[in-house]
Amino acid sequence: MKRTLAILLANPLSLLGVVLVSVVILSAVFADFIAPFPEHRGAVVDFANFNKPPEWPYIFGTDLVGRDMFSRILYAYRISLILGIVVLAIAVPVGVTIGLVAGYLGGWTEYLLMRLTDVFLSVPPLVLAMSIMGVLQPTLANGMLAVTAMWWPWYTRLVYNITRGEKEEGYVLAAEVIGASKAHIIFREILPNCVPAIITKMTLDMGFVILIASSLSFLGLGVQPPTPDLGSMVADGAKYLPDSWWLTIFPGLAILVAVFGFNLIGDALRDILGAEQ
Amino acid sequence: MIPLARLLAKRLATSLIVLIGVSMLIFAIARIIPGDPARIALGPNATAEQIADLRAELHLDDHIVVQYGHFIADVARGDLGISLYTNRPVTADIALYLPATLELVLVAGVMMVGIGLPLGIWSARWRGRAADNIIRLISLLGVSAPSFVWAVILMLLFAFYLPLFPIAGRISDTYAISSVTGFLLVDTLLQGDIRAFGNAAWHIVLPAFALALSGIGQAARLTRANMVETYDKPYIEMARSYGFPARRIANHYAFRPSLIPSLTIIGLDFAAMLGNAFLVEAIFAWPGLSRYGVAVILRKDLNAIVGTVLIISATFLLVNIIVDLLIALLNPRIRYSQRPA
Amino acid sequence: MSTPTLDIQNLTLGFKGYTGFTEVLHGISLSVNPGERVALVGESGSGKSVTARIVLGLLQELRTARIGGSVRFEGRELDQLSRRERHALRGKAMSMIFQDPTSSLNPVFRIGDQFHDVLRRADPAISRDAALERAAAILAEVSVRDAERVLNAFPFQLSGGLNQRVMIAMALANEPALLIADEPGTALDVTVQAQTLHLMRKLVEEHHTAVLFISHNLGVVREFADRVYVIYKGRIVEQGATRAVFEDARHPYTRALMAAVPRLTGGGIPDIEENSPDFGAPLEIHDAEARA
Repeated sequence: MKRTLAILLANPLSLLGVVLVSVVILSAVFADFIAPFPEHRGAVVDFANFNKPPEWPYIFGTDLVGRDMFSRILYAYRISLILGIVVLAIAVPVGVTIGLVAGYLGGWTEYLLMRLTDVFLSVPPLVLAMSIMGVLQPTLANGMLAVTAMWWPWYTRLVYNITRGEKEEGYVLAAEVIGASKAHIIFREILPNCVPAIITKMTLDMGFVILIASSLSFLGLGVQPPTPDLGSMVADGAKYLPDSWWLTIFPGLAILVAVFGFNLIGDALRDILGAEQ
Repeated sequence: MIPLARLLAKRLATSLIVLIGVSMLIFAIARIIPGDPARIALGPNATAEQIADLRAELHLDDHIVVQYGHFIADVARGDLGISLYTNRPVTADIALYLPATLELVLVAGVMMVGIGLPLGIWSARWRGRAADNIIRLISLLGVSAPSFVWAVILMLLFAFYLPLFPIAGRISDTYAISSVTGFLLVDTLLQGDIRAFGNAAWHIVLPAFALALSGIGQAARLTRANMVETYDKPYIEMARSYGFPARRIANHYAFRPSLIPSLTIIGLDFAAMLGNAFLVEAIFAWPGLSRYGVAVILRKDLNAIVGTVLIISATFLLVNIIVDLLIALLNPRIRYSQRPA
Repeated sequence: MSTPTLDIQNLTLGFKGYTGFTEVLHGISLSVNPGERVALVGESGSGKSVTARIVLGLLQELRTARIGGSVRFEGRELDQLSRRERHALRGKAMSMIFQDPTSSLNPVFRIGDQFHDVLRRADPAISRDAALERAAAILAEVSVRDAERVLNAFPFQLSGGLNQRVMIAMALANEPALLIADEPGTALDVTVQAQTLHLMRKLVEEHHTAVLFISHNLGVVREFADRVYVIYKGRIVEQGATRAVFEDARHPYTRALMAAVPRLTGGGIPDIEENSPDFGAPLEIHDAEARA
């Protein structure tokens, strides 16, 4: 763990990733203290200062009702991070368990579970989440549900592939011979061997969950106003291109910075932990 | 070629099973809708009679299994029902909008392969050098933003500030193109109108590139990773010890074996563009499935939602089958063995 | 005395790594005369394979490698050649046979196409048909009867022994002055290995090709080589005519190697001590005349 961290900080690219992610996390956590206009996260109107290009004190400009873009982006990061954490906190245990069970038990269990996984993987990710959002009310909680529903199969597939390899290894056979329970073998013997790959994927996915969630809200199928959200900010601003460019460019770059940061760390972790895709 | 035919048959069979699964999934999603779907679809002003009629038409009063039976029987006849939003058959709506989306996705796919693979090859060939680091950074940036962000950035840079490309649409209004295939790049050629073709091509560059960017990054990263691994293989050392030109080693001896493991994922990324196209279409006012899809979702138009997802998934599966066949064609081990590896 | 085909003097090699500088070769000298078969014998990790790669100029491209001393090929100092000139030698004036023939041939190209690339090294303009014709003729020399089937096949469709013959044919196709054989056929079973070595010996004699034969298998070396160098941990510890070395091994390490011979099954050397103070003894030279 310490060694991993040391390597992460030694490489300029992964260091950049650590810096970017730290900035994103800190701005989300301390938004109340950093944001010049914390009240602008909600339905505030200030027509005296609407649609201003970047200028002090509005370093990212103001939106069409006069709210500070910079403050709103800080709060939007908070929503994005919560969404990413919740989605992975549900999708990973579910996906991993199904993958372990299917890979280890084999037979009909394997066939049914893996075909189920295939079904979820056969709908383009965004389209699946869209159709779920379509029948549900567009709220943050439902957005999490929709993204979770499209995310778990990737972990199932990853863990399933590892499990099938590990199943034939000596230590698993040894545990079987001494009569260890299936649950013990699955969670105590095989699971630890999947952890590096899972952690690497989670780091990369933290970025991609943010990306997909912003895509949903960009289409109007995610978090609803006045809650600040990066995707819907881009969508709202896009109508006013090119004159009010700050309405789209800053939230757009904010997504890029967060996802890029997580990707840089995830890439470095993959090299260090030697986990395959 | 017998093994190929067997592979194709096998893949088609599993895809059919998966597609039935997808239909169940989508059908289930569409029926778990809270409240009465008919009432939601018809809006607050609908009369009780209208609602009852629609409930009967959608078989909503039957058991869910019976409902699914009706639905699948209709699908088998090529009937996806009537869109409550446009009042036209869903199949007609999709036939109208899908070609524009497919055209965009196909051009983006060509860019993804045509730009991503060479970048990956160069990166691997010059691994550890400056060129490699630059390409890796660019590819990672490419995958780090959703396509609508790239669309906004590209539009601002190359349509507004540097007006090289048009801002929106598929073709300028001055051209009258009769729709034969729905693909403007094909229809203009069929009509023999080269200038219209050029105009359509000019329109598609920016949106397709915005859609392709993350795929380009992904393809480059994957190609590089697999090629770097291949460079350690004995057959590359053998090629080097015989003094084969470095370019030939990169483009043939190292690239070809690495392409096979990359292709599956490149295929998945290509197919994922079917979904991402929605994002790009919204920015560039591209008259594809996006506007229709979002509109029917916001209006809870069940038939249209189910139909659209089903068609997109079928296309997605078809792409995957094509990729699998391509892999089989490229990998002599599969092509010349009786059972697919 | 004529110019040796290969003349290595005081060759050193080190790698710059994260942990500092590690020297792998500590100044080895050896020579191979035209038409002579010389063996370089040692355990894995002794430095024999890197020596071969330096001769081919492959290691020089590694940025972490530091190479000192002199390597002369047909009288020309490799270090003083331009990259282009050095590259031109590879596959034409010198070529190499690898340990595992099947994994040394590219899995996704037909043998014929790979042969075409090899022949192109000597004649860049050669057509595919002409290349295949020429390849078939060379394959006949290594007793491959159905050359057409072999050239049309992928490596995984052929047996290891057949692939080995293909490799030998490729290595000799451009009439090189020097052939480097790095543990040829170690991956094959013993009888096939013996057959292909026999073929190789016959061919190099006919073509008067000089061979640097790298091996840990003393039994094979005795059959094949005119002269032997024994290498241990980056130093030559004994050298001389094959017969002299085998009949009168003087260096403690050579004796330890010999003692292990009967137990050799191609996999490695089981019974030599990791490190013995005796192995550090100075170089033993049997035939002073051979060291010009």
